[in-house]
Order: sequence, then structure tokens, then C-alpha cells
Amino acid sequence: MDNNIEKRLQSLKDRLSYARDIFAGKHDDSLSMLEEKLAEFNARASMGEIQDPYTDIVTLEDLFSYVESRLEGLITPMDKVRIVRHPQRICLRDILENVYDNFTEVGGQDEHSLDPSMLIARAVITRRHGKKTHTQSVMIIGQEKGHGAEFRNGGSVKPWGNAKAQQYMRVAETEGIPIHAYIFTPGSYPVEDYPGAAQQIARNIYCMAGLRVPVIAVISEGGSGGAEAIGLADKRLMLSHGYYSVISPEGAAAIEGHLKAGERATPELIEHCAEHLHITAQDNLRFGYIDRIIQEPPLGARPNHFEFFRQLRQEVIRATDEVVIQSRGLPGFRKLALSRLRRPDINLDETYLRWGLSSSNKDRLVERRQQKYLHFAREAALDKRPFLTKNAAALRDWLSKPWVHLKYDFYRKHQRRIKSMVEEVGSEIDLIKSRLFSPWRKIARLPAKKTQAAELTSLSNWVDDQRRSKWNYLSPRYKIDRTLTCPNSATYGCLDLWGPDLFAEFAGVCSHCGYHFPMEPEWYVKNVFDVDSVFEFNAEIEAGNPLEFPGFDERIAQAKAKTGVKSGCMTFEARIDGIKMVVAMLMGTFRGGSVGAAEGYKFVEAAERAAKKRYPFLAYVHGTAGIRIQEGTHGVIQMPRCTVAVRRYIQAGGLYMVLYDTNSFAGPVASFLGCSPYQFAVRSSNIGFAGPGVIKETTGMDIPPKYHRSYRALSRGHIQAIWDRRQIRANLKQALLTIGGRNLYYR
Amino acid sequence: MSTLQDLYKLPLNQHKVLVANRGEIAIRIMRACAKLGLPFCAIYTAEDAASGHVRHAREHGGEKSLYRVSSYHDANELMAVADVAECTAVHPGYGFFAEDFRFARRVTKRDRKMIFIGPSWKIIRELGDKINTKRLARSLGVPTVPGSDRPIYDEVEAERIARSVFEFQEQQGIKRPLVLVKASAGGGGMGIEEVYDIDMFRSVYRRIRNYALRQFKDEGVLIEQRITDFNHLEVQIVSDRSGQHPVHFGTRNCSIQSTGLQKRIEVAPGFAPHNISYSFNAEKVLVDIVHYSLTMARKVGYDNVGTWEWIVTRNGDPFLMEVNTRIQVENGVSARISTVNNEGGVDLIAEQIRTGLGQPLGYGQEAIAFDGVGIEYRLIAEDPDNRFTPWVGRIERFSWQDQPWLTMLTHVPTDEPYEIPTEFDPNLALAIVWGKDLDEAKARGREFLDGLVLEGHNAAGDSLKSNVNFLRANTERILRF
Repeated sequence: MDNNIEKRLQSLKDRLSYARDIFAGKHDDSLSMLEEKLAEFNARASMGEIQDPYTDIVTLEDLFSYVESRLEGLITPMDKVRIVRHPQRICLRDILENVYDNFTEVGGQDEHSLDPSMLIARAVITRRHGKKTHTQSVMIIGQEKGHGAEFRNGGSVKPWGNAKAQQYMRVAETEGIPIHAYIFTPGSYPVEDYPGAAQQIARNIYCMAGLRVPVIAVISEGGSGGAEAIGLADKRLMLSHGYYSVISPEGAAAIEGHLKAGERATPELIEHCAEHLHITAQDNLRFGYIDRIIQEPPLGARPNHFEFFRQLRQEVIRATDEVVIQSRGLPGFRKLALSRLRRPDINLDETYLRWGLSSSNKDRLVERRQQKYLHFAREAALDKRPFLTKNAAALRDWLSKPWVHLKYDFYRKHQRRIKSMVEEVGSEIDLIKSRLFSPWRKIARLPAKKTQAAELTSLSNWVDDQRRSKWNYLSPRYKIDRTLTCPNSATYGCLDLWGPDLFAEFAGVCSHCGYHFPMEPEWYVKNVFDVDSVFEFNAEIEAGNPLEFPGFDERIAQAKAKTGVKSGCMTFEARIDGIKMVVAMLMGTFRGGSVGAAEGYKFVEAAERAAKKRYPFLAYVHGTAGIRIQEGTHGVIQMPRCTVAVRRYIQAGGLYMVLYDTNSFAGPVASFLGCSPYQFAVRSSNIGFAGPGVIKETTGMDIPPKYHRSYRALSRGHIQAIWDRRQIRANLKQALLTIGGRNLYYR
Repeated sequence: MSTLQDLYKLPLNQHKVLVANRGEIAIRIMRACAKLGLPFCAIYTAEDAASGHVRHAREHGGEKSLYRVSSYHDANELMAVADVAECTAVHPGYGFFAEDFRFARRVTKRDRKMIFIGPSWKIIRELGDKINTKRLARSLGVPTVPGSDRPIYDEVEAERIARSVFEFQEQQGIKRPLVLVKASAGGGGMGIEEVYDIDMFRSVYRRIRNYALRQFKDEGVLIEQRITDFNHLEVQIVSDRSGQHPVHFGTRNCSIQSTGLQKRIEVAPGFAPHNISYSFNAEKVLVDIVHYSLTMARKVGYDNVGTWEWIVTRNGDPFLMEVNTRIQVENGVSARISTVNNEGGVDLIAEQIRTGLGQPLGYGQEAIAFDGVGIEYRLIAEDPDNRFTPWVGRIERFSWQDQPWLTMLTHVPTDEPYEIPTEFDPNLALAIVWGKDLDEAKARGREFLDGLVLEGHNAAGDSLKSNVNFLRANTERILRF
């Protein structure tokens, strides 16, 4: 047997073991047949019985291809999960070598890197136009799984790896070159170091929401937060055998099966979750969260599929060209150029389009990207607002826009100038007056002595005596005659607390150590804001079951019945000492405060309302367990989407504050909450990316106690201060008066 | 589940009182219960097992009358004992939970309700708040210490008030005026500072404000005149649950105090205008403060025993200081000089329990008369020469000569040695001496102190230190301004 035949045989062996791996025991008859044929050929070849091995091996290879393409039709979503995780799967280095013409790795090499699972490279694409050759630079950012090399950590990026990515996104922005992001990650590495996992992902998403260069993302394995950290792109392409999901099927199964730490989900449950989470490229194209699918060879792309790489090259160039065209030029010309790009026979290597953008083009680029995300997933929420109301609201918005513009951008500016002039003149007059009248004043002063004595000894007026009726709302638990033990009593020796004291007067705070017992969302709504100032809007937008996840309709209905609200996010306008503000509250009582399409929709609407009215915007997180996994990518898309809304609000000169209470974890913290420059936490809250169980499960690490405590979040700079629950109102007032926002109505 | 009103209707002997205190006051409460024919239940902690109140409960209590708890401060444990012992009422004594409105509220609002022997929790809360008390007083025309009567949050306003308090004192001819800045939410002497110079004011104000914010979550401060030269007087008030007809049991003078402002000698009545000449009309001052105290008691519907505390300046100006919504240590000295319907042997604790359980008081002010002078000495193991440092050790001999004019109240046994527990204040005994006038009372006081035997040693072998010499030396000063 010559070398060539042996190599081809080895390749067939690899194909077979690959197929066995990805089908995990299924389709055994077909695969056994292949194995038999392979063994037979092998035996005969080594005995020298084959006359013309080159013809025979082609027959065998054809058989393999035939069986593979037949099995291709039987691939289930879980098989795709196994495909993207397989060590033979293409990885980012293969793409760099085969798709781009040259590249230089930056930010570390191989294992000598801040985080080897995040690979950054400056790459070039050479395109010929006529006789001229053009070299175009791109910044490649992506997770590197490295065919199973251990130091790559499976593409699970540590916070500092994401920070590296953010740094080079900024570099690309400075240099004005497009970014190609390749997503090969099962999820981020959930450590709360400096920076914390959630903290850094939030920064990345916030950064990408305003990046002034074209961003193209290619998704192979899109695992939740880790994917979003580099995934907020103008165009999102997806490999046909990839998956893009809110959580790994195993993780979903653990949650669905209510598994405790250490227990394993059954393969059936995992398969069930993989199917119903709608994680495939085809599903996501249908939802609109990706723009195009890049077809892979049967059973998924592996490093020797060179045709696939050529196709991928065409697709990323096309996507980049499209983004550039859509950001610039005249509308008519744009359409023409786009239709030319989409011609199937075009070879983009032989066309040329400059990728540089002017400043106004960049504005358009960012605006288009933001609008794209803002429009995602609206249909996934149940909007039960009556048709007329919806339209009336839209009309009102449209009509009030010029008025608001006139009021704040024109009138207020000039009003301030006039006011300061009046003040100056006034103080001059006062000065002259005081000089003129000074001889008389001394005489007039004498009787003041008596009033002074009266002031010091008789009853004064005291209007703001609110000390008696300290709380407008008491937790209903105060009616129960029972004692509660403070969780810190073993450490600090707190005496047991009597429920009626604790849940009424003490506001749920241990009177000895200050531990905060969780309170109902109503407590905050009624006690933090001025009495009767709360005006809820968009209450009719309801959480639903957009993926028709089995059994979830009932559970959502239960949550609605239990809490009396229609979604986990309540948005309202309220006042604190007369200062009006918009508040979006994530309620831990509604399915753990998880965020789905409805919650995201309401959050975005609230941010837009705040921007329009020039109100401060507060995200009060009573509790959030993360993205609602049963909504799949409808949920996960809320991360970039809400972040875009927040970024637009902040850039319009608003004041966006976040206040965490109880437990705040995962997606929301890693995006639209964690990106706020002003985040605060109520004492005894926990903040982080993944809970202790998940960290143990995914990293094998035992985490120290108090790992997610707000004080640690404060130390690593995630939040800015820790507040006592009883002080929230006063602290918010203080914050409203002292920080943020050049465009707030009361400034 | 019975309501509070049902409990008030129960006949006296169907009640059972939880004595939620220790030492001398626990014994007095148990004695008062016995006098009224009431069963009781006492508590003690491990450190306190040798205290006289434990012995008294063991010897005089019935079934379920003594329980050990891990702390006198744990309300949960007290409730558990009360439930097991089937108590219907709780007497807090003084200290511990006596002025804790939350405890009183819990006792009366829990599922198995009991009577709190003391004013209703709302009154404790209302009068326990210094701003509220001051404003109530001012609304009734009762004189209070000059200064603000509401928390000041604004620095500029604070300074303006401080300035006028200084000016006010200068007009009164006070040579070294002082201003007191205190956290309005504070208590127990925390967050209080004196200012003698207006230029210092702002820095002190900020310090107190920040302290108050940290400590009490409320940055409001009070700004008042600091009065240095004064006598400390009290008015003893008693009222039944109707709250309509409070009576008084005279006045007391508690001006002889330790350096830490703890009372050491209390005298009833508050001044002796017939024996001593004052620079002001002392008789009128006594009448005025009694009148003011009763006015306030009527206004709030005060419904148990309580004490209105006053400071009287050298000019004879009385200012209300605070209201103690509890029985006090020195209640016995007022009882000693009082008669009701010409009968002596008044027991204010028994009156407190009886009215507290819902009985009407049964007599008016006209039935109460006063006779002679009472002096109460607090015998304490401490070293008056060394800043009244408490002395801890073993008492080996403790005896005195019984006299018809002497009442001794103590939880320290006289027939066996007693180890003073370190956990509690080292109060050993109260001696109440009576005389038909001030001179006789003072002479008898000296006679008592001369005949007192109080000896012991501590672990280091040093002999016992007590305040007997301090008491003797100060007997001369009694009722002098």
C-alpha cells in the first residue's frame, strides 16, 4: 500500500469516527456497514489483493459520501451541538489560514496569551480589479477552540480575554478597518475576577453597540453571553451546522429537570431541550436573528473542506461589502450595487469596493445597526394593547417630537441665558438697595430679639414630619406572629427577629447586623417613590411562549396568576421629591425575574420614553435569574437589543442608573444592566454571571463563600456603591441631583 | 385567642405576671404581686443564679414560677417562658425592655396577647422620641430647653439657630454660653457634642451630621442651649388605663450624681423651702412642674406610672428634659412620704400592677397627702475616688441596724457570701430613710450609714470598695442648690 492510499484510508477512518461521535450511537447500521467496507478494503489492501487501489478507494470514498449525505438529512439539533464541539470541527486558525490571505496574530500567541481562548489577528484580503491588486485589512476577533487543545479552554473565554477583544475592537475603530468576529464558544468562563465575567461582557456589548466600523459576525457555536460578547454585528452569518442558543442543551435540561448539583440530565431530556430551544441556523434565520446561512459540507465542515473555505471567504467579503454599501452613497446607487453583489455568479475576489467610510457614513452605519437590533423580537412578545391605543401612542410620539425638541433643545438653552442675565441685574440692584437702606435697617432690627427668643422656646412649624408614617407600604408578612432567624446569626449573634417588627418597621433589615431580607417589588414601588406618583405604562405587553416550549404556557400562566402582572418587567413613571423619572423594574417574583421578549420590549420602550421626555432612567433590579431560557434566542437577543436602547439613551444625554437588589445574575447583568456607568446595589444582594452550581459544573472550581456578594462586586469596580434599603429614596435623590445627564429636563 | 379588652376584664387573681427583670426590682415586683394575691413567674440567667430574686421566687412562687433563660435581652425567650408559664401580663421593671415600645407592642399584638404593665406602646413610642416630646410640650406651653424642636438638615439654617442660641444666652447674662449639637435620632448620650465658640460650630455640626447618618440613617440634628448649672427634679405620675385622671405622688430631687451622671441620692420632696432658702421661689417651681407634668399626661392619655424629668436652673426656670415611661428605681422614696386616704405603706409598684391590669385607680389627687422627707441611698460597690469604677468581687459581710424609719431593698443575701456578677451593674441595695423634716432625715441617714457593715474581697485579695463615704459626705448637700 503506498503512502497516498494510506493517507486516504486514514482520512476515511477519521470521517467514520467523526460520524460515530456526532451521532452518539444512532444510525449504527449505516456506520457499521461503512466500517465493514473499510475494514474489508484495508484487509485486502494490506494482503496486496487489490489490483487498482485508486479506483477502489474512489468507490469507497463515494460510498462514504453517499452515506454521509443521506445521514445529513437525519441530523437533529443535538447532533449539531456535538458537531460544533467535535475536535475535528474547523476552528478559527483554520479559517485564518484558508479564508484570509495573510494574517498576524496579535494580543498573544498560542499558549502565551492573556487568554488563549480569545484569538485576535490582523488579516488581509487581496482582491483584484482588472490589473490592479487591492489589499484590504480586517480585524479578526474570535474564540479559538484549537481542535481540543486544553489550553484553549474549549473557547470559553475568561473576562480578560473579552477585555482583550474589546481593546482590539477599539483599535479597529481607530484604524477604520472592518471587524470579522468568529463565534466559537460554548459560553463565557463564569469567573468573577477583575473584571467580572458579566461586567466585561456588558462592556463589550455596549462598545459594539456604537462601534463606528462595519462588524461581521460568523456563528459556529453561539453560546449565550460568550457569543454576545463579540456578536453584536451589522451582519450575522451562521454556519449551517452551528447552533446559537441562550444556554447549552445540558444546562437547559438541568434547569428543566430541576436537577441538583452533581446530578446528570438524561440524554432524552437533553435531546428534548435541544430540539425545543430552536437553536439551529435555520431556526435563527426564520426568527431574523441571523442574516444568512453558509452551507457546510455534509455532517459539518472540517479542516480539509477547502471548497467550504472558499465559499466562506466569498460570504464574509460580500457581507462586508453590503454593510459598506448600505452605509454610504445615494439610495438608488445603493440598491444597484447591492443587487450586483447578490448575483450568484459573482466572484468577489475580482471586484473591489473600498471599505473606508466617511464620518457621516459611520453615523449611518451605527444608526442602521442600532435600528436593526431595536426591531428584533418584537413579535415574540404578546402585545395586547388595543389597536387604537397602539396607534394613538405612535401618533402622539410623532407629534410630540418636534415640540419636545423645541422645548429642550431651543427654549431651555436660551431660557438659561436670560435667567442668568436677570440674576446678575438683580444682584446689582440688591447691592445698591442695601447701601441705601443700611441706616434704617439697624433700627428695624431691634424688635427681632423678641422673635428670636420666641423661635427658640416655642413650637416651630415642621411641615415635612414624615417620620411617623415612615413606610407607605408594609410587607403582608408583618401580620404573621412568628420569629425569624437572621442568616448571619451564627456569625454576628443576631437575636431572632419578630416578623411583625421586621417586615413593617425594620423594612426587612436585621436590626443587629443589617442583613436585608428580601422584600416584595411593591415595597419599593410604594416606598421609594412619591405617594401616588407611580404611573405604569405598557402593562399590556405580556410574556408568552414564542417557541411553544412544551409545558411552558401553563407555567407562564401560573406566574401571571400568582403575581398579578403580565411580565417580569414593570415599567412606570414616578417621582422622587417631585423629580420625574422612568423606571424599569425586573421583578424576581415573576419567574425569577428572567428576561424574555416581553421584558426586553418593555425595557426598550421605557428607555425610549425616558430619552424622549428627558427623564432620568432607572433600572431597578428586584431580582433577575438571567435570560428566560424557554424563549431561546428570542431571549438572548434582548442582551444586545436592550443594550442598544440604553446606549442610545445615554448618548442622548440621559442619566441611566441601575440598582440591584437580591440576586442579579447572567444575561441582563452581562449586558444592559452591567453597562451602566452608575450601578448601585442594595446590601445583601448577590451579583454575578453564573451561580455557584453552574460555576462548579462548568469550571470544576470550588468557589469561595460570599463569591457573589455585592461587596465583592464593589471591590472589582462593577458597582459604585452599596445602599441600605431604607436609604434608597434618599440616595436616589442625591444621585439625581449630583450625577449624569446633560439633557435631563430638570437641569 | 382573647383580646386585650377581655384580659383587662379578668379578675386580678386570674392573672399571672411574668417578671421580666432581675435583682432588687424583680423582688419588689414579686412582693407587690404577692400583696395583690397574684401568681408570678420569674426568670434568671446562669450568671445570676445566686441573686436574691431567684431565691425569693423559689421560696414564694408557686408552680411554674422560675425559668432560666440565656439572656434577659432576648424577647423571644421571654415570650416562650410567658407562654409555658401561662402568664397573662409582663412586668418589665426598669432597664432591659422597660421603655422598648417594640417589646410592649409585641406583647400586646402577638397571637397570644398579654398585658404589658407599663404605658401603652404608642405612648412609649410617642414620649420616647425626644423631638416629639419637645414639640408636644411646646404645643402645651410647657417650658423646654431653648433651641430647635425639629431636626435641622440644612447647614445654613443650623448655623443661624446656633448663633441665636448663643445670643439668647448672652442676653440671659450667661457668662460662658454653650450650645449642644445632638443627633435627633440618637439616644443614650450618643452623637452629642458641645460647642463653646460659634466658629467651631460648622465643623462640629458636620461631624455630628455624618455620625448620625452613619449610625442612625438620619442626618437631622437638634441644636439646643447647654445648661450646666441646674438641679435635677422629677415628678411621679400614676394613672389608670382610662388615662383620664392622672395623679401625682410628689416631686423628687436627684441632683446628687456620680461623675457619669448616674443618680446616687434621691430625695423627696424636690425642694425644702421651709428649711433652706433658695434664690428663687422654690415652692412655685414645684407647683409648676407638677402642673406641667399632669397637663402633658392628660394630653397624651397617659395610662400607667411614669416620671417627668425636669432641670431647674439657678434662676428657678424649669425645663422639661424627658419623660421616663416606666417605674423608676427611686419610686420607693416618693411612696415613703405619701399617704393615700391617710394611710401609709403606699406601694407604687403594686399600684402600677393593679392599674396596669385594668383596675381603676380608685382615688383622686385629694386623697394623696405628703409627710416628711425621704432620702434614698444607692449602695453600690464602686470607687468614687477613681471615677466611680465598679468593684467586682465577693461580699462577705453585709448587715445594718433595723429601724422603723429605714427600708432596705436588696437582692444581696445577708446570711451567706455573695459573688457580684460582672454582667450587670453592681447595684447592691437601696436604703430609704424617712424623717419628719429635712434635718431629722439627714441625721438618720448619717446614723444608718455609720452603722452599715459592708465587707468583702476580690480575687486579688483587695478589700471591697463602696460608695458609703461618698453618700455620707454628700448627705450634707441634700436639697441645697
